[in-house]
Amino acid sequence: MTAGTATGGRESAWADLRIRAARWPRSPVFYGIVVAVVAAVAGQWVINPPAAYGLCSACHGRDLENWIINHVYGKSLFVTAAGSHWPLFTVVGVVLGSTLAARRNGELRSINIGGNVPQFLLGGLVMCAALFVGGCPTRIIIRTGYGDVAALITLVAIAGGIVAATVSMRWWARR
Amino acid sequence: VGEEMTVSIVSLGVGLIVGYLGQRSRMCTIGGLRDFVLVRDTGLLKGVAALLLASWVTFGVLHAIAGSNLDRLWAAGTTPSGGWAVVAVLVGGLLLGFFATLSGACPLRQHVLAGQGRIGAWAFLAGFYLAGIVYTSWLEPHIGSWPI
Repeated sequence: MTAGTATGGRESAWADLRIRAARWPRSPVFYGIVVAVVAAVAGQWVINPPAAYGLCSACHGRDLENWIINHVYGKSLFVTAAGSHWPLFTVVGVVLGSTLAARRNGELRSINIGGNVPQFLLGGLVMCAALFVGGCPTRIIIRTGYGDVAALITLVAIAGGIVAATVSMRWWARR
Repeated sequence: VGEEMTVSIVSLGVGLIVGYLGQRSRMCTIGGLRDFVLVRDTGLLKGVAALLLASWVTFGVLHAIAGSNLDRLWAAGTTPSGGWAVVAVLVGGLLLGFFATLSGACPLRQHVLAGQGRIGAWAFLAGFYLAGIVYTSWLEPHIGSWPI
């Protein structure tokens, strides 16, 4: 605090709170709370069935692309009941929201760090595994919060997979 | 047009919020445990814990508003139907965690990275959506529809 705060503590406290609130989007805990509330409310009141379907990158992406294929080519690929009449644009929104945030903060630039073919293959494997267990890791966490026993088992298995991959990556790096 | 259209609008809004906050916070659901194992950094792990706890509390409040399902801790009809189902879910989760960690981020984080211009994330998404069609067209009929 500088010497000029004699006008009253209320404005400075308010300004202090505003500065702190501007930093909240940087916090993973803030992300967790906001995303959980938004996904749970959207899943409970709008985007259902199935239950706890408010946010998922794998299932919503599958629903969107299968909806497009069904409507353009007249196929009948599987789409959940929530996304069968009108498509789910969650994945489009995530990419657009990220672009907006990066643009507003000067972080929007094309970066190529290589390894794109392995990324392509890993993307395919992740999608198959995610559709098999019924959700991307984010939806598995939200489903666990909903009270899904299978999701809790999956979450434990995902944790095991992360530890196994991290330890083996460190082992490969040290060899 | 009509009430069914709200699904599209709401899902786009959810995506925009998640994408914006995901870009600002660099949040990743598998990054939490990975950073903890590698460098004992708990920043992202706290985000994962917040996601889990907040969704648990929110669903509790929503169930209380709807006046349903308060007498039980676990949702009905979500228990795997036998030992082989548990094994299948365990193997699927293990592979999901393993491959996602090798690719460097969880699928949602890859969407965020694609939005801010990472070329590798676009390659990931290309494989991701191609596999989505392959899985629902050819793999799922052989495996059978899985109770989610």
